[in-house]
Amino acid sequence: MKRLDSIFLKVFLYGLPLVIILAIFSYRYGLGRFQGLAGNFKLLYNFSGLVFAIWMLLSIYLSVRLMVSGSFRNLVLARLTFIRERDEREVMLTGRATRKTFLTSLAVLIFLFFLSCFQVSIYRLPPEKAVDGKTGIISLGFGFNLLEYSHKVLPQETLQKTDIFSYAGLPVSSTAVILLLIIWQITSYNFSMQRLMRNEQRGDQGE
Amino acid sequence: MPKWPPRLKIVNRLHVWRAEHRLTQEQLAKEIGVTRATIVAIEGGGYNPSLELAFRIARFFNTDINAIFAIEEEAR
Repeated sequence: MKRLDSIFLKVFLYGLPLVIILAIFSYRYGLGRFQGLAGNFKLLYNFSGLVFAIWMLLSIYLSVRLMVSGSFRNLVLARLTFIRERDEREVMLTGRATRKTFLTSLAVLIFLFFLSCFQVSIYRLPPEKAVDGKTGIISLGFGFNLLEYSHKVLPQETLQKTDIFSYAGLPVSSTAVILLLIIWQITSYNFSMQRLMRNEQRGDQGE
Repeated sequence: MPKWPPRLKIVNRLHVWRAEHRLTQEQLAKEIGVTRATIVAIEGGGYNPSLELAFRIARFFNTDINAIFAIEEEAR
């Protein structure tokens, strides 16, 4: 099984540049243009589709393996995140850096959670709709949804108002947030590790 | 106010023992199975080795652990 994982991982990694090229190609020229082709181009188009399908299946398989297999996780993710534990000192430093990363990530997640929940809207009403003679309104809200509701039909706005500022949750997609968090985890860990090593060289044993 | 016990600082004479045995940091690291950075950190006082590693170092130099590592009281 380990050998199979290793083969799958290599196929996944070697296929990655091809998939990136395919993605750039389809983004620039659109996939529809290649559907009507004949001959070698048609063959190439079909082959690319097959490569992408295989790569997609492999990515699902490997990500599940990463979740369920501790040894596979150690082998792949430790290399990907540059974790080195060659002796007890490095194990200790890794522990400290991981603790720092965990706590800072948690702080970032809490911050993102609040940012995604809060809703602020500042707008101006027409003079005839003034409330207590005031036309400037600040509306605050707290929205929490377990599921995406983008497909839900929201009631149409009937109030005639001039928006000055409107904020209703994070403007980035969930995919972007997940990607940013992955990058954050790796960067934060390596930054903490570098800092701990620098402190150690200065003879400082504290955090 | 509770009276805290004095803080203890572990000092070592590893660089002296290493020099006496004419060993480089790299050589010593290889002999006791750690990285050179660990030897640098121990000698510089930036890292206190575990008991196991301290005993391993003492055994390598064929001496008592107290000959290499000692405790000093640190003023708070």
